[in-house]
Amino acid sequence: MKKFKLFFNIVEEEQWLNEQLQKGYRCTNISGLGIYTFEKANKASIIRLDYQDYLSANRFEEYKTIYEDFGWTHIRGSRFGSIQYWQKTADSQNEIFSDRQSYVHYYKRLMNYSLSLAISLLMISYMIYKDSSLYETKGLWDMEGSLFWKAFLFETPFVIIKLLPLIMVILFGFSYLHAYRQYSLLKDK
Amino acid sequence: MKHKLLPLSETMHYILLALREPLHGYAIMQKIEKMSNGTVSLAAGTLYGAIENLNKHGWIEPVSGETGRRKVYKITDKGITILNDERQRLRHIISLYEMSEIDEEV
Repeated sequence: MKKFKLFFNIVEEEQWLNEQLQKGYRCTNISGLGIYTFEKANKASIIRLDYQDYLSANRFEEYKTIYEDFGWTHIRGSRFGSIQYWQKTADSQNEIFSDRQSYVHYYKRLMNYSLSLAISLLMISYMIYKDSSLYETKGLWDMEGSLFWKAFLFETPFVIIKLLPLIMVILFGFSYLHAYRQYSLLKDK
Repeated sequence: MKHKLLPLSETMHYILLALREPLHGYAIMQKIEKMSNGTVSLAAGTLYGAIENLNKHGWIEPVSGETGRRKVYKITDKGITILNDERQRLRHIISLYEMSEIDEEV
């Protein structure tokens, strides 16, 4: 079974994945384009998402070895600053973190991740928008009646595509705020 | 200013105490489970992060060779100093616990 879905928030992605697993599936593959592959499973599984900044080949090997020793299977994730997807058969230890300090660090990493994506996309948006107006049809705003509406509606889908980077800035911005909220809740305790 | 890992958290305390003998990641968790009579069960990410952190501060260090792809760690002299300081601090607190009854009578 394949499902397509896009996420801008790691916490929501993890929740959605675990909802699928609770229906009696386990995840076999995740592609970068938002395609998740599942297969029927006899045993209940659990997925946890971690984020790690750039790791040297050695460090990445050590990171994976420790998780694998604890029974986790690595589904996806590169060592060049990426989300790490871990799955295992559910048992008494279904978490990847066991103290509050680890969660504080985890949310801090998620904040940096969302913020760096938001800033990169903001820079891309600036480069796209700085030399052009949103609607590029000449004299669009001087047109009248049905001619205006036809031209306006024709161009709108292109405008939305052009606005995508900016929409993504906002979505990653929300993801940042969400992580920041969790971070400050845990930190103040 | 106080070091940001001080006073030691339960996780850090147990890892430093466990690493008085050289161990790799998973073996650290197993030993801690025994040392704590099953009350402390470290998760993978917490253990990885703690090892990385302690190693960064030079309180533990990798020892060369041994079990193939698994990295083996051991406490350093700096780490032992930290444990001794923590022992002093905890001893003092325990002594306060024990003195409280006498104080109440005064």
